[in-house]
Amino acid sequence: MARHFAFVAALWVVISLIGFTLVFNFTPFPVAAAEQAKAIDEAFMLLTLLAVPVFSLVVAVLLYSAYRWRSFGQPDEDGPPIRTNKPLIIGWFAITTALTIAIIIHPGITGLQEIRAHDGKPVDLLVQVEGRRFFWNVMYPEYGVQSRRELVLPIGAVTRFDVTAYDVLHSFWVPAFRVKVDAVPGLHTEIVATPDEFGTFEEDPNFRLQCAELCGAGHATMRLPVRVVTQEEFEAWIAEQTPIRR
Amino acid sequence: MGILSAFAPIARGLVSAGVGLGLGIALAQLIAAVTGKPATEIRIALGFIFGTIGWLLGIGVWSYWAREWFGLKPRVNEAKGWRRYFTFSTDHKVIGVQYLVTFVVVMLLGGLAAVFMRWELMDSGSGVLSPDQFNMVMGLHGMLMVAVAVATIMGGFANFGVPLLIGAGDVAFPRVNALSYWIIPPVAVALLLVPAFGGFDSGWTAYPPLSVINADGQLLVLFAFLVFGLSSILGGMNFLTTIFKMRAPGMTLGRMPIFVWAILSASLISLTATQFVAFGLIMVILDRVAGMAFFDYTVGGNPLLYEHIFWFYSHPAVYVMILPAFGIELEILSHFSRKPVFAYKWVVASFLAIVVLSMVVWAHHLFTSGMSNYLHIPFMAMTELISIPTGAVFLSALGTLWMGKLWLKTPMLFAIGVIFNFLIGGITGIFLADVATDIQLQDTYFVVAHFHYTMVGGEIFVIMAALYYWFPKITGRMYNEKMGVIHFFWMFIAYNVTFLAMFWVGVQGMNRRVADYPAELANENLVVSVAAFVLAGSFILLTYNLVRSWMRGPVAEANPWKARTLEWQTSSPPPLENFESPPEVLADPYGYGEKGAVHARFPAPAHGTADADD
Repeated sequence: MARHFAFVAALWVVISLIGFTLVFNFTPFPVAAAEQAKAIDEAFMLLTLLAVPVFSLVVAVLLYSAYRWRSFGQPDEDGPPIRTNKPLIIGWFAITTALTIAIIIHPGITGLQEIRAHDGKPVDLLVQVEGRRFFWNVMYPEYGVQSRRELVLPIGAVTRFDVTAYDVLHSFWVPAFRVKVDAVPGLHTEIVATPDEFGTFEEDPNFRLQCAELCGAGHATMRLPVRVVTQEEFEAWIAEQTPIRR
Repeated sequence: MGILSAFAPIARGLVSAGVGLGLGIALAQLIAAVTGKPATEIRIALGFIFGTIGWLLGIGVWSYWAREWFGLKPRVNEAKGWRRYFTFSTDHKVIGVQYLVTFVVVMLLGGLAAVFMRWELMDSGSGVLSPDQFNMVMGLHGMLMVAVAVATIMGGFANFGVPLLIGAGDVAFPRVNALSYWIIPPVAVALLLVPAFGGFDSGWTAYPPLSVINADGQLLVLFAFLVFGLSSILGGMNFLTTIFKMRAPGMTLGRMPIFVWAILSASLISLTATQFVAFGLIMVILDRVAGMAFFDYTVGGNPLLYEHIFWFYSHPAVYVMILPAFGIELEILSHFSRKPVFAYKWVVASFLAIVVLSMVVWAHHLFTSGMSNYLHIPFMAMTELISIPTGAVFLSALGTLWMGKLWLKTPMLFAIGVIFNFLIGGITGIFLADVATDIQLQDTYFVVAHFHYTMVGGEIFVIMAALYYWFPKITGRMYNEKMGVIHFFWMFIAYNVTFLAMFWVGVQGMNRRVADYPAELANENLVVSVAAFVLAGSFILLTYNLVRSWMRGPVAEANPWKARTLEWQTSSPPPLENFESPPEVLADPYGYGEKGAVHARFPAPAHGTADADD
């Protein structure tokens, strides 16, 4: 018995090490161009690192059992009638419960607080976003202008998006910022992003405002290029835009 | 006559459906004329309802059932052999096979839809499908596969298996059982007619306002879903009654096979939660047909309402799909490891805990919907708590394998594959339960990959295992083992490449339900598509193996797996009354390795041999 456990433990360590190597060497994330994006990627990374040993343990037991106790013909005898093992079961429940409560608190509740840090507080810039089949209208009420061709944001500005829809459900999503909130007819939803890296849609398609809720035939291509620029460039761009028409 | 006469009940059903359809349309014309409303949608609605009632009366509800209401003697079709499958048979084994064959075919059709989607998505830009066609194919893929996931085990394997496993002669309500199957052909007809009515572009979730304002095809989809839900409710009621009332003497709840506990748990959900989605669907139907405005904000409606009602059913529904799969999984692991199910009581408790928790997690589908922020933390916590009972199922699976004698037949290979697949499905679920990561991952391919890992890697792999496991019992013939093993490795590898790559494209920034995507994601998508085509190919081998073996495979023995549950203690296939003499249960069926353990004995009836024809 002890020998079996030793083999499984060794296998667990090996698979975990392979897992950690993969996690640290192949970052799956696209560009993270907002403070919120970094917080969300951190939460993702933490959950992945916690997942590696859990995954490896189950796979280690599975592989070892399937190899060590395999039988291609009909087994000539039954296995040992192990029906239960109270310390093991209690231990398993204790560990899974502890892990679950841990991730509810962190990154669960803590991550949510980071995303919602600016709720109810003044922000640097307000952008009103309206989804319509199949285009986006972005309005800058502080400047009295709007655009249907581009969403331009000054770097470092805490920006609140006030999102709504004209006809059916849409969803406001900028992959580079990692923030998403549905656009619902008759309802104003909010999400905050603080861009902290320059970028354009032409260089990286993750700088796009993409509709993420199925809205009909034009859903896939219902997107608006996003550009993060300096404050001066932003003001120059604002000056060229058309006034808001209601 | 000959062969043609076998289809007489179906022909009667079709004629009667035609009469119903005509009546419905006539009534619709009348209503449209009186109210001055456009007639099309009223015609579809009433035509479908009356047509379905007509079909049911014609196929057997009248002659088997309704005649009694008028003091007439019911007329029962006495067909034998394969002809039974085309009648309103009340034998649970016939109904189980009807469900299985129907939903394996539906699975192949849904797979074909997936092939078309991956064909379109092989490259960015427009390909084989227009965006509208893509949306319809995507929605049909979803509808068909949800039906497969709900009905293949609950309707097929549970119908065939539960009465046998608890030592009963049939289910509690055999005619309700037949009704729950024969109500499904109208669903299929409605879905097949969708393209002729402008298609539908709102996916299987059918969120309003889109599902209120789109083409007429949507109405057919809503009715199809509604009627399918009715079938699920009837099935849940039937299984609960059967399990509580029809167990063989000595089959206490604590001695029931774990599969039966899984069906009991899933039935609790399908009986109760399904009614909520019916509310939601009826509200959308009324918005469309009767001009009501539950979801129209301009007159006080609220689109979010539907999302809550929909997921109040549709999240528990995933446990209607996966709990029975857990049951079969542990059953197969036990019999092929020659060991008892490990931690049986804890697993039963976990199943019941999942039933309760499944009802209070629905809003994790709504983290980005705009619902109130204070709801995020409770729903995140409840959702993550489900990983505790689910973890217990893993413990049981691993504990059952540990030190067993693992007989690596095809069903066992699939069962081992399930542990790996569902592990990935479960772990990635945590990323979607966490609000912060879900804000990014919601509505991306990460979600698509996640739920395919649970529903395909978990449930469909279990269905494969169960098809091979019970094939000899159901058909009386043996499948080809070599083809079965090849099918497992082919499907397992192609499946994992397809959906692991989907996680990657999701994190890379590809959202779901799109006919097009930025060109930068083309390489990854090509990998997914090619792997998906290889995966689809594995089902050709499965179909060939099953069809060929059913027709001319070697005759199967009563208990080819030397398993201890009751269905293997009777002939393959079992006689009409299931057991030559009814079993008397002495202990649970997992006495592997225990000296002198006996699950059941079959005492000869006191009055002599039972007369099968009586």
